[in-house]
Formats: sequence, structure tokens, C-alpha cells
Amino acid sequence: MEKESLLIVDNLHTHFFTEQGTVRAVNGVSFELKKGERLAIVGESGSGKSAMAMSLLQLISYPGRIVSGSVKLGDKDLLQMSERQLNEVRGGEIGTVFQDPMTSLDPVMTIEEQLVHTIRRHTKLDRRGAVQRAIELLRQVGIPDPETRIRNYPFELSGGMRQRVLIAMALSCSPKLIIADEPTTALDVTIQAQIVELLKNLSADTGCAMLFITHDLGLVARFAQKVAVMYAGRIVEYGTVRELYANPQHPYTQSLLRTIPSMKGPRAKRLLQIDGFPPDMRQPVVGCSFAQRCPAAQPMCRTEIPSLTDRSPTHRAACWIEDGIFSGIAKETAPTAEELLHLPPKASFLRHQEPQDAAMPVLEIKSLAKHYKTRSSLFRKNGKVVRAVDGLDFSLQPGQTLGLVGESGCGKSTTARMLLRLDEPSDGSIIVEGVDIAHLKGEELKQFRRKVQMVFQDPYSSFNPKLTIEQIITEPLQVMKVGTGEERRKRARELILTVGLDVSYLDRYPNQLSGGQRQRIGIARALALNPSIIVADEPTSALDVSVRAQVINLLAELREKLGISVVFISHDLSIVKHISDTIAVMYLGKIVEFGPTQAIFGNPRHPYTKALLSAAPIPDPQLEAERNVELLSGDLPSPANPPKGCRFSTRCPAAEHRCKEERPELIEMEDARKVACFLVS
Amino acid sequence: MADYLLKKAAQLIPTILGVVTLVFFAIRLIPGDSTSYMAGDNLSGEAVDALRERMGLDVPVWQQYLDYLLGILKFDFGTTMVSGLPIGQLIMEALPVTFMIAFLTVLIACLIAVTLGTIAAFSAHKGKKLIDQVLTWIAMLVDLMPSFWMALLMMLVFTLSLGWLPASGPIDFSDPVGLLQRIALPLIVLSLGQIATIARITRTSVLEVLNEDYIRTARAFGTPQLLVVFRHALKNAAMPIITVAGLGFGNLLNGTVITEFIFSIPGIGTLLIGGINSRDYSLVQSVILVYSFLFILVNMMTDLIYKYFDPRVKF
Amino acid sequence: MQNGMDGSITTSKGISLPRPKLRALQKILRNRQGLVAVLILLPMIAFAFLAPVLPLQDPLKSNITASLQPPSTDNLFGTDKLGRDIFSRTVSGMQTSMMVGIIVATITLCGGLLIGSVSGFFGGRMDRFIMGIVDIFLSFPSLLLAIGMVAIFGAGMLPVIIAISIADLPRAIRLQRSLVLSVKSGAFIDAARMVSAPTHWLLFRHIIPNTLAPMLVAASITAANAILTEASLSFLGLGITPPEPSLGNIIREGQMYLQEAWWISTLPGLVIFAIAISLHLLSDGIREVLDPRSKR
Repeated sequence: MEKESLLIVDNLHTHFFTEQGTVRAVNGVSFELKKGERLAIVGESGSGKSAMAMSLLQLISYPGRIVSGSVKLGDKDLLQMSERQLNEVRGGEIGTVFQDPMTSLDPVMTIEEQLVHTIRRHTKLDRRGAVQRAIELLRQVGIPDPETRIRNYPFELSGGMRQRVLIAMALSCSPKLIIADEPTTALDVTIQAQIVELLKNLSADTGCAMLFITHDLGLVARFAQKVAVMYAGRIVEYGTVRELYANPQHPYTQSLLRTIPSMKGPRAKRLLQIDGFPPDMRQPVVGCSFAQRCPAAQPMCRTEIPSLTDRSPTHRAACWIEDGIFSGIAKETAPTAEELLHLPPKASFLRHQEPQDAAMPVLEIKSLAKHYKTRSSLFRKNGKVVRAVDGLDFSLQPGQTLGLVGESGCGKSTTARMLLRLDEPSDGSIIVEGVDIAHLKGEELKQFRRKVQMVFQDPYSSFNPKLTIEQIITEPLQVMKVGTGEERRKRARELILTVGLDVSYLDRYPNQLSGGQRQRIGIARALALNPSIIVADEPTSALDVSVRAQVINLLAELREKLGISVVFISHDLSIVKHISDTIAVMYLGKIVEFGPTQAIFGNPRHPYTKALLSAAPIPDPQLEAERNVELLSGDLPSPANPPKGCRFSTRCPAAEHRCKEERPELIEMEDARKVACFLVS
Repeated sequence: MADYLLKKAAQLIPTILGVVTLVFFAIRLIPGDSTSYMAGDNLSGEAVDALRERMGLDVPVWQQYLDYLLGILKFDFGTTMVSGLPIGQLIMEALPVTFMIAFLTVLIACLIAVTLGTIAAFSAHKGKKLIDQVLTWIAMLVDLMPSFWMALLMMLVFTLSLGWLPASGPIDFSDPVGLLQRIALPLIVLSLGQIATIARITRTSVLEVLNEDYIRTARAFGTPQLLVVFRHALKNAAMPIITVAGLGFGNLLNGTVITEFIFSIPGIGTLLIGGINSRDYSLVQSVILVYSFLFILVNMMTDLIYKYFDPRVKF
Repeated sequence: MQNGMDGSITTSKGISLPRPKLRALQKILRNRQGLVAVLILLPMIAFAFLAPVLPLQDPLKSNITASLQPPSTDNLFGTDKLGRDIFSRTVSGMQTSMMVGIIVATITLCGGLLIGSVSGFFGGRMDRFIMGIVDIFLSFPSLLLAIGMVAIFGAGMLPVIIAISIADLPRAIRLQRSLVLSVKSGAFIDAARMVSAPTHWLLFRHIIPNTLAPMLVAASITAANAILTEASLSFLGLGITPPEPSLGNIIREGQMYLQEAWWISTLPGLVIFAIAISLHLLSDGIREVLDPRSKR
């Protein structure tokens, strides 16, 4: 049954006129959205997807301007409307949900004020009616006890709750369309699953169309019916989700879908990576924007801009090359031995580390804990104790990778800081190559530091902006007094080649590098002292999908070639699965499940692990449709005030009386895994 | 709330004690004591001793210090050395004048500065750079003008050339119109000095708030731009503005000394300059203490207002 | 990205390599505000300090026959009651102002860097002690602190410099301390601590270089404020006292003849104004040039 169209965007151009030049953020976007349909716009940062969404509402701020095009909502062209008419549409016919719920609500106004203002702007309800409606809406979006909650200020609510409030606001005037701009990016996986489910149900219940903007191909597969892929300000491919995922036509989509590690099946040796970086949007467009990074680009691709052409009645792509040519790339996921030999040269001083005793773990953690005291003040004598990490046990074999997963506040970063001895543990021991380093001091601590190094989450803030890349890479050598100045320079050159950059970068400053390049430098610095363990704390979370694969591959290769052991901390399950041999799942300062990757992903035992895996979206619409997503109720409790018994008992769907009273210990199972749950045996 | 006030006051005690002590001992740093100046060469040894006794300088330093502390608690600063008048009373007579001028200045300056700052921020946000730049430049120029020079220019124009406003004469609270005319020039000079700072912080913080996500939310739900500025932007920008206005109060007090001196207004600034010129150190010490207390008090008040406006702070 | 126009060398491969030392200076001169500031300040400083060898009239020599002369080619800024040349008195006063500005800015910059770094970096009891003292000094309005100090030390150049330095130092300490605290929490300090970098390395390689830019910006504003404060003190008759000329006391003397000889007060005031503006422009220039976020 063909539905009526709701929104028709035609050849939309939005440019930002900056001092450095004109950024063509949206450069000729056309698409159609039917009534009640869920369309996802997917793209990396800088692809223009958010600018496009804001153009629909005409909320482009200076120095941006909508240059040309038309946006038809029903029979009205939004771009021809007066500001007054637009204000009727905004919030009235189109509701919006933004990315960061922490900053999207006015901090000095109560939820009630904000909702009531919006409701009264678009309806004829009086104040009391509006409050009544607001409470109804809050109930509808699943906020418990809305009568009390409505009087709260935003800071009194959790991130997930605030996002629900924003959704309530978007719903408040029964809009025909809701624009959701990365609505779950700032949220934890289990909360993300709740919000996505809520949006999906609301769309089904109210018949409201949704425009879902995201960078996450997994979420698209779970949520949308149709998808448009944006690259460099243009839609490069458009179609139904099933068709597009099953048979991608544009080389960008094709490669993007393969850069994501698979959550099912055995682990691939290497991820397909898209080399290079997105184009500079200030340059005028000649030819296909993806041509520079496209392995199959033809001369024609560099001179003429391809337009969207039909590949099937419900599938369009903007590429000069008919499909089939890309069957070549598709196979590349598993590189051959020769390909591996073409990897960047290895620095001479970096030797493959042979474990002295293969059976001895390189790292062993025993009942590790970190307790913080909140500051006591004049009037409150004793501060509260926050148990950020509360007794961890795990071990890591030489040359292996341990994945540490968990949501925010689970203590994974605190654990990393203790492993590196940036913080001293409150309790327990950290045994590195047979030596307990938990409380080392002075010279002994210095010797330990050569063995364990770190790759930071945000590489930029981990570099002193006043130093050149060479000074940054050689700093560990200089401080440790390794070699002469000349030798250190030589090492810097070798290291930068090892991480796949060229020597000219040594004289640059951090702000002259892109995110992916910076993370490579971060890895080079971590390697400078030839450590046996590298701790990587969310090393890819600040990077785009296409660049992420480059960094993950680099880490995997180095581990392979140098025999380094890696502790890999991440909230991204697909990446953890790809890179880790063993996995430790953390929840509120405790490990709930620990064991071989295959075992845990193949058959999760702890209810939290199950929920986590089920919440993580898979970029496969077929699988997503078949899956039954297990939603966890409620929010993460605060580590300052954890539940009495099993820490997961407040959210566990299977919790029994005993779970709320006693705390389960990690118990070894038959298949070399450990689980901390009374209900598993 | 009361708990918070108590806590705040407790925090301030060491600082206030430090201020009082610093002033007490700083004055003792002066070579010789006040009497040697007052006495000159004309008084005999016994006469000087008598004078010292009258001024309480004949007892050990620690006892002088205690007397002085007790005196402050009772707002008793002793008597002036030259005329023998009680200092507390002199200050109480001069303080209302200074206070009135300072209060009116803050009122005028905030009204004008917040308006101008908001206009500048809004223009900058909309990309109307010219309005913003002109306002920013004017703010900078006014800010950097030496206040005494500005006062003289005003006097030259409005008093000497145009004859519109008086620059001297008695301060009479019973004649509001005359009073307003009399203090008009000092008010203009002082306000101009304050406007620049407050306008600048208003511009910065309003501009910052206008770029916040919740402003975009409000706009995305159809709130007209002007309403956004009044309902959301100003309310959120209020906190830094209040803080800066509070800190600027120190500069305002600096300014009152100079304008009182130029326009011969009998406030505590004039009292201070007179004290220094007649080397009446107990008067100088007391007036400086009063200035410092005023400043501490205002800072504490801005802190309270700040806390009151921010729902995230619990008392 | 780079066009090679900002002091960087462009190699054959088209990769620009910045030369760190020259860059800052060149960028200040390329910066419009910085250039204007330097163009006003440099001649003024040169003029002020070269005054003794320039063919100017003696600033102290009186000439009763030429009392209260309006500006002319002989007396650019006119003469005062005693017939002294206001222009040469202004130049001489400028010298005083510049000295005060430069010395006070240097003292507060060095003192602020030293004490603020110790306080912010080491923390603990030392920090509480220093901040306690700083809080006491910050409880006085700055001009009143200076007035009090001058009342103790007496009038004259040295007491004025000491008084203004003491009044401005607490602010510099507080700024440096907060800068140190914010830099100290950065991830690159963790990166350095991870290789057991010693204290002096952390301080001199990482922390202080990153606080220097805002401190220099603050120092040029301190210089402007010091010049204004000196002028205010002298205007009140508490700073530099006649016959030695200072911009403040020239204006004070002119106040009595405002009606018949407007030039005595207004023209030297204009000079203070110009100095203050150019120092502020300079601070803006420094801010833009040294901002790590600005494009190199």
C-alpha cells in the first residue's frame, strides 16, 4: 500500500560562510518521507547530517545559511514561511529530540515549566490543562511517578530520564514528524536500548513519522524502515533498510558496513578499513566526493558528480560504477599473508617479546579495590565512601588481549588508572611479571612504568599543545634517560613509521593533526619504552567509524608482531569482541562475568551480560528483526549508594529474595569462565 | 539556608581577622608613632608622654591590639588625632553619602550594561558583527579612560562650558532634585566605569548561553527569539553577571575615592584623603577597614544571590 | 592547509614546518591589534626614555612670562601657571608611567608565576596558607590597598611601585594557581606521570609553558592598571609629588586652571588613555597569538 508523502526535501543546500572559507555542509540533498515512516539518515561526523536536520527547522545559526532548495511539509514550503508561521510548525507539527539530554534542557527551569511553555504555545489548553497533559506525556514515555518528577530540575534526573522528558516534549502537540538527532549517542547501551524501543513504539502507536539521525549502522538496522547514507554533504545511497544492508551499492556504504566487527560468528583477523579522511568541505566539489578514498575509482569519478540513480524500485545510489566491481573489496575482510607483509615497517628496537614462562600471567589482579571518600566539611564530619572499584580478580596471559566492558560508572577507567599506578589502590594487589606493584614507590615504581603504558581516550588532551610530535613521542625516553638525543630522534622516526605515518609529522603540533592521526601518535608514544602491557582506555570512542577500523587494525597488528599484552577498555561490544581473547564484564565496581570471548559472546550466562549483549544493536536488519531485545528496566544505581545484595539485583529480571540480601562471588564454571550470580550454576 | 549563612560566615572569620590584623600592624610599621608628627618639635617630653597616654600608645603592643579589636566590635575606632572627634561618628556621617552613590551607580550601571551587553551578544549571535564590534569598542574605550580624567572632562563640558550641572556645593538629602543634580556628574563618571565591565561579561555569557543546546531546544519548539533571550538566556547568564558585578564593586569603591575627591563630596573617600594629608593614621586605618568590610559584605551578598538563582546549589 | 604565509617554511612536499621561536613574534606583528599596539607603544617608550637627549625644554624650568600659554608650535601642549612646558613635562611623566608599568608587570608576573605555581602544584598546607594571605589582600579594593601602603611608605617612585605591586600580586597569584590547577588535571600530565617524570619536568616542561600565555595577557593588563593606579595616586597627591612630573600630578595641578587652561589637564590625560588602550590591544594580540587553539 503506497502511503502519502509527508516531507519532501528537494535539492537542499546549506552552507557555512566561515572566515576560512565556505563549508558546503549540505550540498544538494533530496529525499522523501512518507507518513508514519521511520527514515534514518546515517553518516560520519562532518557528513552534514545534523546540519541537514537543522535546516528542515531553519535553525541554522550564523554563519550558516540555507542557500537553496525546498522543504515541503504536506503542501507548505517551510523555506518560504515567515518566522511566525515557522514557530507554529516547530514543536507543533515537527517535534525534535536532540543528542545530549544533559545539555538540551534549561538547567534553571523545572521540567513542568519547560513542558507547559511548549504545550501552551501550541494548544489552547490553560495552565492546569497543560500541567495535566504534561503529566500524561511523562507517563506515556515511561517516567515513574510523573506527578513528583515534573517538579524536578533537569539536574535531578538521569540522562535516560532527561531524554524521555525531551521525547515527551516532542510528543506534546501530537506532531506529524519527530526529528531525532543522535538521540542515544550520549547514553549507555542498556539505556540506549530503552530509548530506541520507546521511539519505535511511539511511532507505531501515534503514527508519527520519524527522521532518525545517527552514525550507528546497528541502530539503523534496529530502528528504521528506510535509510539514507550521507557522505560529504550529499546522500550517496537511499533505500529500504533490508535492501541496502543486503546489497549495498555505493562503495562507501559497502566499505562502511564491513568496517564494523561482526557480533556473530568467529573473529576476523583484520577489519576492512577505509583509508584516508573525508574531504575538506571548503573545497568546491569536482566529481564524486568519495573518489579519493574509493579503491575502484575511475577517471570519470574524479571529474563528474554522480547523481542518485535507481538500482531497484526502492533503492537508489549515486555512483558511476554498476555493482559487481565491488565484489573485489568484499573479499578483502580477511587479508592474505602478503597483505600483512605490506604493513608499515617495524622499529628496530621493538622486539617480539617471548614470554619467559608461558604459563605465568603477565598481569594478575587480586581483590583490587579503590574507595574514594567524598570530602568531609566543617558541618559534615565524615564524608561518604564511594566504592568505585570493589574487589576485582582477573589475569592476563602474555600476548593476549583482555577486554574490559561495562557502562559508565562501572569503574573501568578507575581500574585502568590503578593498573598504570596513576592512582594507588585502596586494597588488593596488581602483579606484573611476578612483582606486586600496587604500592611501589620511587625507583622501583619507575622501573615498573617502563613495562606498562597507556593509550588515552582523547588523544588531543593527552598531548601538551606546546610540544611538537617529536618531543611528545620522545618524552618517555627523555625522562627515563634512554639513549642520546640523536638516538632518541632515530627512535622517534622509527616509531612514527611503525604506526603508519611519515617522518614529516614529527615537526608538527598536535592541533595540526586529525583525530585518527593523533591516536596513532598516542600509540607511538605508548610504544616508545617497548612495554610489555598496553592499557587502552576507550581508544576509539572519539573517532569516526571509518577511522576507528584503522586504529583497531594497528593495535591488533602491533600486538601480533610485538607480543604485547593489551588491556582494552571499551563500551563498544563489537570492537571488544573483535580484539579481545578474554572478556571481563563489569557492573558497579565488580566483575560479573569473566572468560574467553567466544564463550561469553556465544553463550552469556550472567543476566547483565545477557542484557548488555542483547541491547547492543547489530548492523543486520534481518538479525535485528528476529532478535528479541531484552530490555533492562530502570537506571544504573549510583556507585556512591550501591544496592545491598547483588549489585545488579535492582535491575535484574530474574532477581530473587536472596539476590537482594547476599552478595554473590565469582564462581568458576566448567568452561573456564567465572560468573558472579546465584542463579547460574 | 541559615546553615549555609553560618558556614559562609565561619569561612570569612579568618579573612576578616587577617584584614584587621594586617591593618593594625601595617600602621605600626610607620617609623616613629603618630605623636612624633603631631608633636613636632614644639612639645616637651612630658607633653608627648601625655599625648601618648591619651592615644593609648603607652601600653604594650598586644594590649593595644586587644583594645583595638574590642573597639572594632563596638564600632569604636577612637578619636582623630588632630581634632579629637570620635572617628566612628565621622564615618557614620560620611558613609550614607558614599553608600547612596555606590548603590545608585550599581543600579544605573547594571540596567544600562545588561541591556547593551545583551544587544551586543544577540547581534554577534545573528552575525551582525558591526553592532557588536561598535559596542565592544565603546565599552573598551570607556573602560580604559582614567576616571579622574573623565571627571575633569565632564566638569569642563557640563559645568564650566554649559553650566548644566554643579560640580560642588552642599549635599542636602531633603532636596531630592538638587541632590540629584549635585551627584549627577559623579554618578555618570562612576557608572561609565562600571558599565564596560558588566556589559562585557553580559555579552560573553549571553553569547555563550545562546549557543547552548537548550536554547536550540527552545527554538526547535517554537519559542520566538526575543522570548528565548528573556526567558532562557538572561536567566542562565545571570550568575556570571552577578559575580562580576560583585567583584567590580571593588573598582567602584576605588572610583568613589577619586570622584568624591574631585567633586568634593563629603563621603568616606574624602575623609580618607583628609586623614592621609593630616597624617591622622588612626583615621586612615579605620576608613580603610570600613572599605574592606563593605567589600567583603558585598562579595558575600553576591555569593548568596548567586546561590539563590542556581537551583543546582542546595543550601 | 598551510599557505606558508604565517612564518612557516614550506617544504618541497608541501608540508609546512613551523619555526617555534620566530613564530610568536612574527605573529604578534601580523596580528592587526598587536601591530597597532606595538606601533603606538614602541615610539612612546623610546620617546619617554630618550627624553634627556632629545631637544626638549627643561620640564622643571619655569618661565613666568609665558604663564598659561595655549598649545602652539613652541609649546605643543601649552604651558602651566609657572610657564613650564607641558609637553616636556608630559614626556617626563610618561617615563615615570612606563617605569611603573614595566616594573610592576614584571614583579607581579614573576611573583605570580612563582608563588602561584607552588601553591597550585603542591597544594596542601602551603596552598591553604598562601591562599589565606591572598584572600586577606583581596579583601581590600586595590586602590585603597595602594593608598594605605603609600600612607605607610610615604610618597615617591619606589613606594608607589611597591604599593601597586603588593596590591596587584594577589590577583596574579590567584590566576596562576587556577591555571596550574586546570593544566594539572589534563591527560598529558597523566601521560608524563606514567613515565615517572620528576616534579621539575612536570612544572617547567608541561605546566608553566601552558600557563604562560594567559599570564602574559594578564601582565600587559596589569601594566595598564598600574599606570592608571600610579596616575590616580599622584592625582590624589599621594603618589609622585611635584615638582617631579608625573602624568597624574600634572593633571592635578591643571585641575585648578581647568576653566582658563583646559590643556594642562586634558592633554596628559589623553596620553594615559593612549597607553592604556595600546596595552589592552597588546594583550588581545598576545591572547590570539598564543592561543593553542588558533591555527598555527
